[in-house]
Amino acid sequence: MKTLLRQHRYALAVTMKRLVSQPFSSLANLLVIALALSLPLLGASLLISVQPVARELSVTPELTVFLKMDAASGQAEQIATKIRKEHGEQTSSVRVMTKDAALKELRANPAWEQALKVLPGNPLPDAVIVTLKPGEDLALRADKLAKDWRTWSGVELVQLDSAWVQRLEALLRFARIGLLLLALSVALVVLATVFNTVRMQALSQREEIGVARLVGATESFVRRPFLYLGAITCSLAAVVGIGVARLALIPLNNALSSLARSYDADFALSLPPVAMLVIAVVAVAALGALSARWSVQRNTRF
Amino acid sequence: MIEFKHVFKSYGRGRNILSDITFRVTAGEFVFVAGPSGAGKSTLLKMIGGLEPPSRGSIEVNGQRLDELSARARPYLRRAVGVILQDTHLLYDRSAINNVLLPLAVTGLAPELARARARAALEKVGLSSKEDMNPIELSGGEQQRLAIARAIVNRPAILIADEPTANLDRDTAHRIMSVFRDFNRVGVTTLIASHDEALMAEYASRTFRIDPGKFTDLSGRSKP
Repeated sequence: MKTLLRQHRYALAVTMKRLVSQPFSSLANLLVIALALSLPLLGASLLISVQPVARELSVTPELTVFLKMDAASGQAEQIATKIRKEHGEQTSSVRVMTKDAALKELRANPAWEQALKVLPGNPLPDAVIVTLKPGEDLALRADKLAKDWRTWSGVELVQLDSAWVQRLEALLRFARIGLLLLALSVALVVLATVFNTVRMQALSQREEIGVARLVGATESFVRRPFLYLGAITCSLAAVVGIGVARLALIPLNNALSSLARSYDADFALSLPPVAMLVIAVVAVAALGALSARWSVQRNTRF
Repeated sequence: MIEFKHVFKSYGRGRNILSDITFRVTAGEFVFVAGPSGAGKSTLLKMIGGLEPPSRGSIEVNGQRLDELSARARPYLRRAVGVILQDTHLLYDRSAINNVLLPLAVTGLAPELARARARAALEKVGLSSKEDMNPIELSGGEQQRLAIARAIVNRPAILIADEPTANLDRDTAHRIMSVFRDFNRVGVTTLIASHDEALMAEYASRTFRIDPGKFTDLSGRSKP
């Protein structure tokens, strides 16, 4: 055990010496990997920050059932009762908005006051406003109910107020797939960069590898410094990448906060949680070591 | 200790470099391998060190059949055989002592013990005052002695050297040979490939002669 630890310590020392002996090349590799890694990190920051907003918005979906203009008075109340009776377990509130109440509410808005004065009568229909109970398949349920109610007698239109949230969710799904593809592309960039770095190192250390084998080095002994090289380069690059993403979020958040303020909202992008970042660093280090192993296995067959 | 049984060696489909070689070297012997250039002396030594496989026949080194040795076990055999090749293969990116420390790092020896062992090896070959020098700063004879120090630092049971005195002046050659003789005297089996007849006459206790396609044990102890 002690022997193995000593061999690891030796490999680590050799790796650090090799990294320091070629500072510009080491730094260039590190920066390439760091910049590549910062892209999916920024994407993840965007997704992670937008997801709760979408979730918050989608917990209060409303369906508005507009009745036909010629619907008899009291039909809105009948439809409200039918909804409470048939779909009571799915709804949290059902209220009737008569055409008179709607007009009164609209007139209270100074922006509409002038426009409504020129109209000969009340152009608004009776309506039933239904708030659904939150749940996993909310979007699907809302869709199904809207389809069902549209067939009821006296109903002109069922408006799904949360449709735009569904569109946002679909957009987020698309973004998640995009982010996955971006992460895969970046993983390929990391693999290729480490593979090539280790290949160059292995070729420049050809003599040392040959001598080490001559004096009885095992293949693990030969490979170990290269695995450390891949893992150290990638973990450092991941940390730098996090720093780059953090810096990039500052101007992005400045721009975003003025936009959010204009909507009277408070919204900012933030990096994924620390635990997730630690996992990302470890995963990238493992990817680097894996790529180094593949490269050293292919490039030290002499 | 070293046993060759009907060993043949050829490269590709070419002619045999070594043909039907059978001999046995017991522990503590000092053997010279003589013959003209290209006769196969280096190939024979490399086969003992496990650096070249035979095309046919069996080789046993230190009680282990090389053809039965797994790829994982081969490095451990190499630690028991100190190899000095014609080209010394010293590493010029580090000091003399760090060249000698490499075989000890391979075995995972404690750093303080390794340094002491490396210093002792350099002292045995008369290079203790030059441990911090880069090999490029050493003379040809000193580089040979440094290669010997690197080969013996792991205390191998067998020492093989390929033309260790080539291109060296007489005095330096004798200094190198006396280093080998000192190791042999403490029980290290030593095989040296050389074409220096005068040196062989002075140091050899047993000589193998390899001519193209023919192997002869001049001591008469090996039978075909």
